[in-house]
Amino acid sequence: MMIVHVLSGQISLNFSDIVSAFNTYDATNTNHIIFFEFRIPRMTMSILSGSALAVSGMLMQTLFNNPLAGPYVLGINSGASLIVALTLLTGIPFFATDFGLISGALVGALLFGSIILFFSFYIRSHISLLLIGLMISSFVGAIITTLESMSAAEQLKSYTFWSFGSLQQTSLNQLPLIIFGCIVGFLGSFLLTKPLNAMLLGETSAKSLGIHIRSFRIWIIAITALLTGTITAFCGPIAFVGLAIPNLTRMIFQTQNHQYLLLGNLLIGGIFMLTCDTIIQLVEPYFVLPINAFTSLFGAPFVVYIVLKKLI
Amino acid sequence: MISLKFIEVGYNTPLLSANLSLELGNLYALVGKNGSGKTTLLQSIIGMIPTIHGEIILDEKSIHSMSNLERAQKIAFVETKFMGINFLTGFEYVAIGRTPYTNALGRLSDRDKMQIAKSLEIVGITHLSGKHTTRMSDGERQLLQVARALAQETPYILMDEPTAFLDYSNKRNLIEKLKKIAHEEQKCILLSCHDLEICLENNLPLLIVSESEKKIEFRNNAAKEEILKLAFS
Repeated sequence: MMIVHVLSGQISLNFSDIVSAFNTYDATNTNHIIFFEFRIPRMTMSILSGSALAVSGMLMQTLFNNPLAGPYVLGINSGASLIVALTLLTGIPFFATDFGLISGALVGALLFGSIILFFSFYIRSHISLLLIGLMISSFVGAIITTLESMSAAEQLKSYTFWSFGSLQQTSLNQLPLIIFGCIVGFLGSFLLTKPLNAMLLGETSAKSLGIHIRSFRIWIIAITALLTGTITAFCGPIAFVGLAIPNLTRMIFQTQNHQYLLLGNLLIGGIFMLTCDTIIQLVEPYFVLPINAFTSLFGAPFVVYIVLKKLI
Repeated sequence: MISLKFIEVGYNTPLLSANLSLELGNLYALVGKNGSGKTTLLQSIIGMIPTIHGEIILDEKSIHSMSNLERAQKIAFVETKFMGINFLTGFEYVAIGRTPYTNALGRLSDRDKMQIAKSLEIVGITHLSGKHTTRMSDGERQLLQVARALAQETPYILMDEPTAFLDYSNKRNLIEKLKKIAHEEQKCILLSCHDLEICLENNLPLLIVSESEKKIEFRNNAAKEEILKLAFS
């Protein structure tokens, strides 16, 4: 899948280009440059974004005991989006750097994660919590629309492109930072698999099994914010992956053991985004399909399917 | 031994007071009206709600001075109803009861697996270990909860109305089984219950929430009329 993804794209590369790019890199060979500067980052971002969003979704679903939870539905993406919108539309110089953008998106995701966590203390109903998430999203959406209407055409364009979601805006030198953020997030999630399993039985039971609920919650929100924030900062808001993939993983692996689910989400999330992006690359000569639109095209019917099959 | 020393439980204002001890090897039933504070009392004993007054001592140590983990190795709690979770098997569910003993990654040791198998066997539901919890009946899931509490290997088990959603024969089976387990495994089990007849049939020692005094009265071999007068008049 990785190789198919790398080989697909507007400028065709063949397998021997890849082999020679690894063996004898030639800085003047266009194909080699395309491979390292464009294809490798795009492929890595596909895998990382899919895995990170799927893992975030799994964490949210177990924390809130709600299979329809996810970073997008609960408005955690919105937090990151708001900061990015402030950045791109107002042009505060600090946020223009990579580090500034990531930390901004992170703070936004963390802030909105905390807001939804705060509401979850008072609201027991699954549906109400999702409604609050939706309200947060539309509230933020309104702020962003207002910002858009006040900003210059050039800035508006760059924000709009960002909001379509894209896996190709990342350059080779930004990769280490993103990979680092994701790996920290994945390792953190791995350390939380035991309390996650206990959390399946609900809060009271988890606490009576010796789990420290408050610190567990804070860690979950922090890790979700890190994963979602990092991906959103660079790829834009990608919908439905965080909601659909964890459910798909549970169906495929037929388990609730979070150690397997975590690995499953990493794998299936990565493969899913790689497949989506390969298809996008294949149709690129004919029309441009934004990744955000594409995941929703897949994701929305899938969620309807989950509801119809009464899997929740 | 669980000692409730002149405790008052409730959220802000005292709902109920108690002063008594519970011994290993017995199944106790907590009876009283709806809203009389039974669940609050149980949640206070497991340390979920702080007591307003008095102390709860588990084997000579106050529960408030224990860490979550220490408490989890002493006392298991079973909620009223377990609805079942998609794709979670009986074995996996009971295995969650080993949480206080497994390492940071939750890996099951041979001893853990042995304890899980033993718990399933004591309750008599070894055949449910591969079945998905969503495909079980209410009665099967209730027994599974008991197995999970046993897997937690605690001397004390508290259950909040475990018979509430069961049919008559399942209610009787569960109470009889719990009484046998308390006796044979030397555990102290306390359950809240509205099925007075079944409790009396099994000669369970009763903790009765006295309606007039808002206080727990302990009765062994009490007549039904007395209990009704104490708790429900």
